[in-house]
Amino acid sequence: MPDSRPRQMRAWANDNPTGPADIDLLRQVQLGDESGLEGLYARYGGLIFTLALRIVGDPELAREVLQDTFLRCWDRADTYDAERGRVAGWLMSIARHRAIDLLRGRPHQARLREQKELTAVVSATIPSGGAESFTMRQTVASALRGLPAPQRQVIELAYYSGLTQTEIASELGLPLGTVKSRTREALERLRTVLWPVIEQPQEAPKDRD
Amino acid sequence: MTEEREHPIDDLAAYSLGSLEAPEARHVERHLATCTACGTLLRQYQTVVGTLPLGLDPVGPPPEAWPAIRRNVQERRHPTHGRIKLLAGWRRVMWPAISALAASLLIWNIVLQLELTRRPPGPEVEALARRPGRLVILTGTGTPGASGRLLVAIDGHHGHLAVAGLKQLPSHRTYQLWFIRPGLPTVTGGSFAVDAHGRAWATITVPVPLDDTREIEITEEPSPGTIAPTGKPLLAAKAWR
Repeated sequence: MPDSRPRQMRAWANDNPTGPADIDLLRQVQLGDESGLEGLYARYGGLIFTLALRIVGDPELAREVLQDTFLRCWDRADTYDAERGRVAGWLMSIARHRAIDLLRGRPHQARLREQKELTAVVSATIPSGGAESFTMRQTVASALRGLPAPQRQVIELAYYSGLTQTEIASELGLPLGTVKSRTREALERLRTVLWPVIEQPQEAPKDRD
Repeated sequence: MTEEREHPIDDLAAYSLGSLEAPEARHVERHLATCTACGTLLRQYQTVVGTLPLGLDPVGPPPEAWPAIRRNVQERRHPTHGRIKLLAGWRRVMWPAISALAASLLIWNIVLQLELTRRPPGPEVEALARRPGRLVILTGTGTPGASGRLLVAIDGHHGHLAVAGLKQLPSHRTYQLWFIRPGLPTVTGGSFAVDAHGRAWATITVPVPLDDTREIEITEEPSPGTIAPTGKPLLAAKAWR
């Protein structure tokens, strides 16, 4: 049965018909083959830089995060555990943690201020993305836009600003329980929209991540 | 019992975003260790969270980023090459080095034997020197150039001390050997004098097991000796075999 998922989603689901699977590229990295790393960079370098720039708000720092992410991938490819998620998610997680680590030393108010300033800058300077990723980006962006504003706010504060639930409660002047409920409701909505798209249909080979 | 109390669902969502304080995160992890349903839900949350960057407007990475990564990767390879070169170099010098070490040990043994023959130690000492239970090398901490060897018999209770490089003392002063133990009183192994050449060969007692001893020292003390060291260490050993 042909895979009807958008191309970018197939790549995200590690079922890219146009090249080796992510897990195969990672295995090349584990064997010390640079071409595996180059393949992962070609596939996810832009996304990781975008994520890093969104979090740290500075192109130089974002480049540092990008480089650190792929060097960590090179150094610690053996630590990847397929049971705990896909290669793409692993890379995003490395990048996000590295970016948030860069922000940790600063008061979170300063972080928020920088990121608010960044939003306008990034929107004005973004080059157009590749056509293949357009549909998937639209799907995720649409799902995020579909969230009620208070739910989207807690997700952004947690994911992009690296704030804990307690810090978010303090920032928004809300009870901690309310923040946690909003976070869960937001993720449930996203899961309801995105999970079926990510996981269906299921004819991807089982041994490919 | 409510579902939230049974399964920490709110915390699970926050956990997937890395947004919990450490104690809460540990609580979730303890629950996950025994709850398959929450493990499945967490994986779905984490996968969904992993797609969030796709919702951002894409920004192309700077063109110099990949060359910099590749350069770093290649630099990381060099230490491996360096180790290989080092190994190859070691293989070239291994046998000369082993030969030199063996020669050094032979010379050292001859020197030791000559040192022994300068004294009339008798068959017991000769046997001890040839096959000591333990050998302790003392070096001149307070007297540069001085050295000593403590040959401890296999029974561990007595031995002989060969010393060189210490100055000859007046009759009311003496050298004293000490065994220093952590948290316990320091005990002496005997006192001795050196000859006009600064050498001594003395029979000593080993009052405590060497393994319980942290340091062995020789100090200068009032004759005929004291119950605890009062002088500064002239020779000392902190490690032995």
